[in-house]
Amino acid sequence: MDETVAEFIKRTILKIPMNELTTILKAWDFLSENQLQTVNFRQRKESVVQHLIHLCEEKRASLSDAALLDIIYMQFHQHQKVWDVFQMNKGPGEDVDLFDMKQFKNSFKKILQRALKNVTVSFRETEENAVWIRIAWGTQYTKPNQYKPTYVVYYSQTPYAFMSSSMLRRNTPLLGQALTVASKHHQIVKMDLRSRYLDSLKAIVFKQYNQTFETHNSTTPLQERSLGLDINMDSRIIHENIVEKERVQRITQETFGDYPQPQLEFAQYKLETKFKSGLNGSILAEREEPLRCLIKFSSPHLLEALKSLAPAALFCRIQKLLCYSGSHIQGTQDLSSWQKDLYLLFVPLYPRC
Amino acid sequence: MEQANPLRPDGESKGGVLAHLERLETQVSRSRKQSEELQSVQAQEGALGTKIHKLRRLRDELRAAVRHRRASVKACIANVEPNQTVEINEQEALEEKLGNVKAILQAYHFTGLSGKLTSRGVCVCINTAFEGNLLDSYFVDLVIQKPLRIHHHSVPVFIPLEEIAAKYLQTNIQHFLFSLCEYLNAYSGRKYQADRLQSDFAALLTGPLQRNPLCNLLSFTYKLDPGGQSFPFCARLLYKDLTATLPTDVTVTCQGVEALSTSWEEQRASHETLFCTKPLHQVFASFARKGEKLDMSLVS
Repeated sequence: MDETVAEFIKRTILKIPMNELTTILKAWDFLSENQLQTVNFRQRKESVVQHLIHLCEEKRASLSDAALLDIIYMQFHQHQKVWDVFQMNKGPGEDVDLFDMKQFKNSFKKILQRALKNVTVSFRETEENAVWIRIAWGTQYTKPNQYKPTYVVYYSQTPYAFMSSSMLRRNTPLLGQALTVASKHHQIVKMDLRSRYLDSLKAIVFKQYNQTFETHNSTTPLQERSLGLDINMDSRIIHENIVEKERVQRITQETFGDYPQPQLEFAQYKLETKFKSGLNGSILAEREEPLRCLIKFSSPHLLEALKSLAPAALFCRIQKLLCYSGSHIQGTQDLSSWQKDLYLLFVPLYPRC
Repeated sequence: MEQANPLRPDGESKGGVLAHLERLETQVSRSRKQSEELQSVQAQEGALGTKIHKLRRLRDELRAAVRHRRASVKACIANVEPNQTVEINEQEALEEKLGNVKAILQAYHFTGLSGKLTSRGVCVCINTAFEGNLLDSYFVDLVIQKPLRIHHHSVPVFIPLEEIAAKYLQTNIQHFLFSLCEYLNAYSGRKYQADRLQSDFAALLTGPLQRNPLCNLLSFTYKLDPGGQSFPFCARLLYKDLTATLPTDVTVTCQGVEALSTSWEEQRASHETLFCTKPLHQVFASFARKGEKLDMSLVS
């Protein structure tokens, strides 16, 4: 076994926390049951790692085996990377997508290897019709750097792929091209969506965030479900306030639903605003150019945070501000209809002169 | 009291007359007062008397009313048992009707396309089936507004829902629903065939079944007699029509053999036809049966 491969496996295993080690090794399925049983996992980590490296040497682990272990580690630690979302388009009137995994893998590998001689490409299929691709980049003269790979998660027969943000940005166009051609699409576009949580990105992009539906079989009537919003039932709240609070609750429920929200960390809106002139004529209205601003919301869990804003009745004021100034807002990109709903309901505050 | 008078002799007679007059005056006023008092007392008596009469009348009326009520209640009690049972029967009948209606609404699932009105529109449920087996259900929640839009759904991402919606949702919702039903039923059917092949006929497969999310490309190798001497066949099934459960293109090749003998060639061609015309798991069921027949002939 190559020195570099041994070092690579060693470093990967060292990253794995002890409580996950057996699970990941079993998923790797490279070392047999018998071999694993000979390892005493209660030792100090260094000793365990030494023993495992010895076993890998016995079995002559190759670079592809090591790369597979790395993919599995990343699958267990998805949150360590920030994932970008890419969307591909087919040309008009194209045939039905007859996706062949073998063909895709071959094609993808060939395209990358033709462009860059030194590149390591590994694949691992998962059960949800997704394929994890790991690419270690090299150049014409240097071997691939195994410690800075890019990961791509592609859901076959969908236009979506998720890519880990990597430092080596110059390879992104090539990667995009390889993905597009191998999956028989026309072009690829980066969406304005980024998160550490792949599941949340998937939920947003595949529109799977709300999977509760009303049927005649359901025994719990929807109206009785609690919203989970804590409202301080102050005995001094009089009737008018209660009506307002109920209205806010209803709108929140209609917008967000009862399900757990996808975990977004920030949302950024680029606004181009032209102001209408009031009675006195304001400085802003006299401008030729629209006012451009960038509003960014960030939070460890943005959507839950916005959902809890509702009882504070802040969003009504935000809406009022919007209507009042009567300005024309132009987003810079086509938002999906879901994002549009969110946008319309929670338009950010922008500075009023 | 008589006033003291300085003129004694006349005073006596004057005092006498005046005093007498005074006495008479007081007598008169006293008697007037008495008569007034008497009159007022009499008036009061009269008033009280009329009041007594009124109250007595009221009391008699109330007594009569109470008696009347008691009599009618007694009459009611005699009829009460039959009334209650009528009410209970009505309630049971209504509950039974409600139960029936609920059961009918639930049974609509078996028609394949059912729905429930929601606060903003309708939630359509598409229940897929293949060869009489009820398979997965998919939901589409529609908001009834101009334009009609899909609020959320559980259709898998690889089904071209957005394409179908772009074509038909605004103009002909029936066509939209039926088209979506077609796609989903066909997908469920293909998935069912692939699942059955993997689970029931794994013995005849010599390698893993290659499939894709839409189950419209299946690739596998199989042997008619597992463990026997024959060469394995490679089959590649393409389902270019996403609304069909049978493949549009089938290629069967024989692995590792350049030129096939005529019998093998015939078999290969017949397999191709079989895959094109019959569902996958049924073809393999017939292979398994033929295999059993062959075994039986060998034994006997």
